[in-house]
Amino acid sequence: MINTLKVLKNSTYILCALFFLNGCSSPEGNETANEKPAHATDTIVIKQMQFTPAELSVQKGDTIVWINNDLVAHDITEEKNKAFYSDTLEVGKSWKWVVTDSAAYMCSIHPSMKGKIVLK
Amino acid sequence: MKQTFKVFKISTYLLCGAFLLNSCNSGDTSKDAATDSAATVTAPATVDTTSATPQKLTDPEIASIAVTADQIDIDYAAIAKEKSKNADVLKFAATMAKDHKSVNDQAVALATKLGVTPQDNPVTQSLLSGATTTKADLNSKTGADFDKAYIDNEVAYHKAAIDLVENKLIVDATNPELKSLLQTALPIFKQHLAHAEMVQNQFSK
Repeated sequence: MINTLKVLKNSTYILCALFFLNGCSSPEGNETANEKPAHATDTIVIKQMQFTPAELSVQKGDTIVWINNDLVAHDITEEKNKAFYSDTLEVGKSWKWVVTDSAAYMCSIHPSMKGKIVLK
Repeated sequence: MKQTFKVFKISTYLLCGAFLLNSCNSGDTSKDAATDSAATVTAPATVDTTSATPQKLTDPEIASIAVTADQIDIDYAAIAKEKSKNADVLKFAATMAKDHKSVNDQAVALATKLGVTPQDNPVTQSLLSGATTTKADLNSKTGADFDKAYIDNEVAYHKAAIDLVENKLIVDATNPELKSLLQTALPIFKQHLAHAEMVQNQFSK
């Protein structure tokens, strides 16, 4: 009888643990307030004097990587207040930025090259 | 008026080269006619039209023209760097020097890879002849006069170069890699023109 109770008690611990773990991994309705959503990484290619895509919708905290596949050097400069600036991005180089807000940006070397980042 | 005429004359060296080569094309007759008119009215005596062969350009000739045209704009930028004190002009000139060197480096690398030796031709000679005149003109000016002459020339030069690359060099290039390089470089020259016009507009305000 005592042995039966002990087995039952141990089984309960295991079931509780399984239930708890299952609850944690459930994708619906069980996220705690401290959990952060996964952030995506998007790529913008610079080629033939254009940012492609010219406009990109992202979530705050996502990472954007600009890759310079053009024949000449470029940079990425936030237009309004220079809130971010990549420095000169030579051919074949890349630069990344973690999104904090929507932004209009340009290449300060070639002022007619422009792009936009829009928060979803 | 004198200034305007000189800029027009400078651009004519390139336009004339484009005309000489375009004259063999039977495609866009209205465009050819327009270029014909410009070349006939303002062609400088230094361009020998009789020596030009109305034939399709070869890849070695295209390589020579492209590299020469790039180098000429690098030379103009060097004069601007030495003579100008205007921040916008200096920034534009620095971009021209760097961008055209990048394009030239890749053109030379491609020519080396393909085993192509750039071949001198009437268009290259016309470009060089025009550049000699333009450099002398730019070197004779100072201050705001220089800045205006430099930017006006850049606008005219890029307009003519775009026409030449778009309507002759890309069309005639037979090697796919050479054609691709020219097609990739074309938007760079168009952006340079937009940038030059932006600086030019600031002077006119």
